[in-house]
Amino acid sequence: MSTQKVFYRERIYPLLFMFLTTFFCILLTAGIHLATQDKALANELSFTRKAILDAGGVEYENTTEGIELAYKKSVKEAEGYFTTSGTSGTRYIIPLEGPGLWGTISIMAGFQEDLSTFTGIAIVSQNETPGLGARIEEPWFTAQFKGKQAPFTLVEEGTAATSSEVDAITGATRTSEYFRNLSNQAADAAKRIIRGE
Amino acid sequence: MAKNKLRKTFMEPLGKNNPVFVQILGICSTLAVTNKLQNTLVMTLGVMFTTALSSWTISLLRNHIPSRIRMMVETMVIATFVIIVDIVLKAFYPDMWKQLGPYVGLIITNCIVMGRVEAFALQNKPMLSLVDGLASGLGYAYVLLAIAFVRELLGTGSLWGYRILGSWWTNWSIMIMPPGGFFVLAILIWIIRETIMKEAKHA
Amino acid sequence: MHESLMPFAVFFASIFTGNILLTNYLGTCSFLSVSKEMKTSVGLGIAVIFVMATTTPLNWLVYEYLLIPFGLEYLRFIVFIIVIAAFVQLTEMTIERYSEPLYQSLGIFLPLITVNCAILGVSLFMVIREYTFFTSFLFGLGSGIGWFVAIIAMAGIRVKLKNAKVPPALEGPGITLIIAGFMAMAFMGFSGMIAVS
Repeated sequence: MSTQKVFYRERIYPLLFMFLTTFFCILLTAGIHLATQDKALANELSFTRKAILDAGGVEYENTTEGIELAYKKSVKEAEGYFTTSGTSGTRYIIPLEGPGLWGTISIMAGFQEDLSTFTGIAIVSQNETPGLGARIEEPWFTAQFKGKQAPFTLVEEGTAATSSEVDAITGATRTSEYFRNLSNQAADAAKRIIRGE
Repeated sequence: MAKNKLRKTFMEPLGKNNPVFVQILGICSTLAVTNKLQNTLVMTLGVMFTTALSSWTISLLRNHIPSRIRMMVETMVIATFVIIVDIVLKAFYPDMWKQLGPYVGLIITNCIVMGRVEAFALQNKPMLSLVDGLASGLGYAYVLLAIAFVRELLGTGSLWGYRILGSWWTNWSIMIMPPGGFFVLAILIWIIRETIMKEAKHA
Repeated sequence: MHESLMPFAVFFASIFTGNILLTNYLGTCSFLSVSKEMKTSVGLGIAVIFVMATTTPLNWLVYEYLLIPFGLEYLRFIVFIIVIAAFVQLTEMTIERYSEPLYQSLGIFLPLITVNCAILGVSLFMVIREYTFFTSFLFGLGSGIGWFVAIIAMAGIRVKLKNAKVPPALEGPGITLIIAGFMAMAFMGFSGMIAVS
């Protein structure tokens, strides 16, 4: 009788306890996950749309509703790219991916009708070092490319003078170079996707 | 009597028994984001939340946990709360979530959380454990916020994203880079230990 | 083209320019306390290499074939830690059974490793950066080697430090962190090694 009790205490009870704890933990996390899932997905969609709007130089109110409104109003979707109408004609926006230091950098590149002059670049995702390479997401960095054409050369942060020079990010030389490569390839990629050249 | 104990439990981790500069615990997960004040605040709030609730939960169960699986249960509970922080951030603060990356998940391995659970929650009542967890998290928070304050101010001339120092200021880029974190923490420990030691000498 | 180069770029980067300890601050706790002595540093370092190189691809498999198909990505924190803990436990038992000397020099460090944030961190980075199986193995191996190099260097320096006059308030963690800061600066110099074309 007592060995049975010991058996219960030493083997069954811990297993039972573990099982119950795991069950409740997973229940709690799954519950909260399901409750917020839609919001998380909506955020992702909103983020991609925001990048498209930024690349196309479209004005919008920086809220989920504002982004959705502006997107539905101004952006047209096509086969592998997006278009929006700007002050000087149609603007074309393409998604583009390239290697970064740690993982893939994913951007939306917007062009004027000549498919060479940038209307903007927006970053959809990047995995660079936080505080260093990740600073490519800061507005000032991507704003540098507006109205300019490839090819670009990197210079020390704060010293960009001509229209083909862009500031690199101090301490993030590698990431800056990868990003420069991406932006140099973007125009050709756009011509390929939109005109099939 | 109970009120005194409550007060003592709250005050200790803030000063005498501070997890960071006295016990040198838990630096890993947050030091990486201390180059921005905003990110640090979110991370330390996450640590506070996790430590407080984990301590409270384990304390509730403390008389029922079989000793063989003690660590597994603790890890499971801590991981649950960290996942909750992660899910909530992803849904309501997606920009912040992207910036913090894997460091939120690393709260699980943050020695402070496990440390308080083992050292306090297993031997004390739930409410007291909750206070201890909260206070430890708070003690951790203000040290890291101090580091972040220095790093962001000297490294970018701004605080919380707002420009504070004028254009006369040349950014100390080293501050936002990894070495800066090590240096600022070292200097902070130095200053605090100097002052504590001086006090001990006078006492 | 970049896809085939990336695993090896990641391997080298994770040892030098993106050192898991000196750049990403992971594994600092045990780093600070164990680096006092060279012998223990070597033991812990090798154990870290072993665990990182094996658990990272292992977690990749679990993530790819268990979590994603069932939509349970949000549980990765719990699952990864369980995998790591189980693997470490298994390894410790195996080593203890089959090789006493190996156990004495390596095995005793294994429990310390389960709570080492670096191990979990590497797996989490792997997920965020969406590495392939092979890349995740190289990433784990490289990160482990990087951590090993850092702790060995630190132990070597601390041995020399024993004869130096360190201010009392700075002894221990203070001076170690300052040395770590200088080491981090030195490692940043390696970023010139990887050329981007």
